[in-house]
Amino acid sequence: MTSTPRIEIRRLFRRLPSGGRDLTILDGIDLSIAAGEFVAVLGPSGSGKSTLLALMAGLDRPTSGEILLDGRAIQALSEDSLARLRRAELGFVFQSFQLLGNLTARENVLLPLELLNSPEAGARADQLLAEVGLSDRGHHYPTQLSGGEQQRVALARAFATRPPILLADEPTGNLDGSTGRKILEILLDLRERHGTTMVLVTHDPAVAALADRRIHLRDGRIEREERSDRSETLAALAALSSAAPAEESAA
Amino acid sequence: MKPRTLLSWMLRESRGALGRFTFFVACLAVGVAAVVAIAGLAAGLDSGIRSEARQLLAADLAIESRRALPEGFDLLSLLPAGARTAAVREMVTVVAALPQNGKPGRSQLVEMKAVEPGYPFYGKLAVLPARPLAALLAPDAAVVAPELIGALGLRHSPHDRALDFRIGTADFHVAGLVSSEPDRVGIGTAFGPRVFLSMAGLERAGLIAKGSRVSYKTLIALPAGVSADRLEKIADQLRAALPANEAYRVETFRQAQPQLRESFAQVGRFLGLVALLSLFVGGIGVAQSVRAWLAGRLDAIAILKCLGLRPREVLALYLGQTALLGLIGSLIGILLGVAIQAAIPHLFGDLIPAALIRPWQPGVLLRGLGLGVGVALLFSLPPLAGLLRVPPSRVLRRDAEPLPVHRTTAGFAFLALAAGLLALTFAQTDSLLLSAQFVGALTLATAILAVAATLLAKSIGRLPRFSSIALRHGLGALARPGAATVGAIVALGLGVVTVLTMSLVERRISHELSRELPSNAPSAFLVDIQPAQWPGVRALLTRSRAEKIDSVPVVMARIASINGRPVDQIAGARRKRQDPNGRDDRNDRSEGREERGRRWALTREQRLTYLQKLPADNVVVAGKLWSDPDHGEVSLEKSFAEDLGVGLGSKLGFDVQGVPLELVVTSLRTVDWSTFGINFYLVVEPGILEQAPQQRVATARLAYGSEQHVQDLLAASYPNVTFLRIREILSKILGVLQRIGLGVRFLGGFTVLSGIAILAGAISAGSVRRGREVALLKTLGMTRRQVATAFAVEYALIGGVAGLLGAATGAALSWGVVTRGFELTWEPEPARLVLAIALTIVLSVIAGLAASLRALERRPIEVLRAE
Repeated sequence: MTSTPRIEIRRLFRRLPSGGRDLTILDGIDLSIAAGEFVAVLGPSGSGKSTLLALMAGLDRPTSGEILLDGRAIQALSEDSLARLRRAELGFVFQSFQLLGNLTARENVLLPLELLNSPEAGARADQLLAEVGLSDRGHHYPTQLSGGEQQRVALARAFATRPPILLADEPTGNLDGSTGRKILEILLDLRERHGTTMVLVTHDPAVAALADRRIHLRDGRIEREERSDRSETLAALAALSSAAPAEESAA
Repeated sequence: MKPRTLLSWMLRESRGALGRFTFFVACLAVGVAAVVAIAGLAAGLDSGIRSEARQLLAADLAIESRRALPEGFDLLSLLPAGARTAAVREMVTVVAALPQNGKPGRSQLVEMKAVEPGYPFYGKLAVLPARPLAALLAPDAAVVAPELIGALGLRHSPHDRALDFRIGTADFHVAGLVSSEPDRVGIGTAFGPRVFLSMAGLERAGLIAKGSRVSYKTLIALPAGVSADRLEKIADQLRAALPANEAYRVETFRQAQPQLRESFAQVGRFLGLVALLSLFVGGIGVAQSVRAWLAGRLDAIAILKCLGLRPREVLALYLGQTALLGLIGSLIGILLGVAIQAAIPHLFGDLIPAALIRPWQPGVLLRGLGLGVGVALLFSLPPLAGLLRVPPSRVLRRDAEPLPVHRTTAGFAFLALAAGLLALTFAQTDSLLLSAQFVGALTLATAILAVAATLLAKSIGRLPRFSSIALRHGLGALARPGAATVGAIVALGLGVVTVLTMSLVERRISHELSRELPSNAPSAFLVDIQPAQWPGVRALLTRSRAEKIDSVPVVMARIASINGRPVDQIAGARRKRQDPNGRDDRNDRSEGREERGRRWALTREQRLTYLQKLPADNVVVAGKLWSDPDHGEVSLEKSFAEDLGVGLGSKLGFDVQGVPLELVVTSLRTVDWSTFGINFYLVVEPGILEQAPQQRVATARLAYGSEQHVQDLLAASYPNVTFLRIREILSKILGVLQRIGLGVRFLGGFTVLSGIAILAGAISAGSVRRGREVALLKTLGMTRRQVATAFAVEYALIGGVAGLLGAATGAALSWGVVTRGFELTWEPEPARLVLAIALTIVLSVIAGLAASLRALERRPIEVLRAE
């Protein structure tokens, strides 16, 4: 690939003061992710996965190093510029869904669209809710939805503004196996259709197998990288869909 | 972000937080209600007086003085054709029923008013029978207030249908009853019932002797169609034509009773500050509600930031939310304030007439709204400043706590709070000095309470463990870090301080005024005694077994010059300095009380006496009494000399009823006024004033219960002598004081209410934690009663600490006010203090348990399942 990488990370360090000394969370990461690529980040707890994701999103600031999105360094941007960047360029999916409890499902999806003053926000939100199979539940509050349904709302919200980059932090981590598989299916489908670059943090190898590339982190460093070929991905997909039962249970 | 989007987000943000916002709104509404009620009453009175100004003056303009218009003064030549005038004379005197069987009739102090036909030019005089006053007032007739009939014991009898009584040396019959007159208003109470006479009647009564205390008024009605400018011009012409001193005061109805309005405004300003205090205390509750609310919104804020909301947009969102809530709270407060105003005539009918209540005044309502929203925003600033530092990475790591607020941000927030409070107080008082004092004192009291509460909470944590589980748990809860009890204690404490201080001060002063007079003090004043009457009056007093009879001559005079400079010039210069336009507006607040005191000292009619030896309650503090053989000497009371701006060696020129006299100040004295002895600002060396026209005043101590009899005897033999009972005068002052005190305590109650709302809010904010606590305690085997007891102990402790701190601060404050402000001795009132503490405990236990009901009701399994 010769064009500018969508995400490029150079010599990235993140240290946190802890008990009087510095704790190194990320220890010199170099990483380049092409447009449209799907990268899974794997690693045990404390390996620095979530911190890496937070840094890519401009939610946290590195101790040193560079993060470039479409060639533009973001580590030195102001809070305001970062906020604007996130609203236009990034979509998020979290392990704990992170829906706003005082907003209905539809309002949660509307939120990023309203931030961009999107002219047809309502229609777009309804369309996305339909795409995740929740057209009839838009007026429900998060507490009235099951975990799987909440995550589907979160997916609809993440894709609402058609962001070029999607960052997903253990999106199936809080869900049971079958519900998780269903969510992954929707996620992959949406990504496919939008051509979104995706970075997904997980510790589930089965989930990671779906990615174009797998980055293994350990102690803040990239331990190894693996590329899936086409056949591997298809096999993983097949395994996923054959194992997926049709329904999930509402809590 | 578009404003519409922001608004819809704000509305969404409010969902599900109604319970929490109830306390926000309640804290604000209580304070706004107090402010609006007081401002509304004050403005209602003021606009009432303005709109009724012509009726209150009963004329278009009036000339008032302590003496008749100058000989040969041609008033009508200065007025446009068609103008009418009516003279009015007012004096306080004693009238009596006719003697029966040789015994003197019952007597009564009255406020007498002799009027010429035409009075009143404006306004309605309520008289029975309903005929013009002039038609009723034959030279031998009087129109009186109905209560005089009872006071004198007048009765219709078969032979005597006319209800006769005696004024001065003549008999009058009651020709009618008067129940209200347009030009009689004021905060103070009257000396006695009204008696109207005609001028001829006043002449018949023979009461006007040189030196009698009569106030002269000439009412003027201009022909219809005279413009306001013309009115002012005529007034200026009159001022120019009258002798150039302040013995004559020309007032137009357009000035609308400046003194009356000023005295109402002063009371209004004072009560307004007390009301503002409850609003500020409510602000503490607002800050606390916002803090608790934001603590529960940290995740949502992190999500919003993650989705791309800029920090300043987050701030705008929550600031807008606060403003919206402030608006709601203020609107509710305004409605409450209006309701209070509407209720006041029903509660205190004799205090403010219903006609002067105007609850819907846009200016007042807007001020309530502005103050309410302002307080909401100002007090939310410090907690909202923390929003800027909520890390968005909290969406990934729940443990990412908000970073500490930048020191500059925090400093700026508190500075903004202080400046804002000052601005709000200034809006309420119009006086920068007063605002600074008020905000300074409030800050100091808050700081003392906060430090004391924090120290107490800390030291409680170090107490040895109690065996009672309820006590142990309650104490532990109080000492828990972040228990939000300090705010509640401060707020509640401030409420206690307000109510207690006012009640202690008022009780102390009431006590001082209502207690038995000191055993050596006189119980009656006798004024307007002609010198020739004195031996007879003294004999009468002696026969009535009066003790401590004392009498001195009084000569009326005016100060004409100081060190050769005419006093008119000095007073004029002082007034010009105050008011470059030369307007005669006494309501002008730029003229300080001090300056007015000085001008009054310069221009008023002075009472002089002459004595060889000073009474015992006088102490010469500078110079020496009667030490200069070459000049006529005068001794001045020290603070009076300061008001005049003179000292030892100054030359004072006097106008003694037309005769010039120059005296040198050779001594300054202090006077202990609380002995009720006869005392004078100006005492002249003997040998100078003996031949001047004069009267005597006397004091005497009469046996308890004999005053009425002595007054009856005096009225029969010396009808021109006015007999004043000190006890009665004091009780009238007491009445006024108690009314103001009632208002203050009523408003102070709002402060306590705010404190209670804050306590309930703090408790309810912790209800989730509390619910978990209850579940856990119940799981461990505690009964609901035991849990409730543990909570009650906690709330009782909060109330106890707040009550204790409030009582201590209140006692200290009342000590300061009583000993410094009123120069009385302070008496500790332990029973009051204990009562205040006990009431605070009871209130806070009730409020606390009420706010914890939901937590107490929860079953353990509900809570544990939700974990």
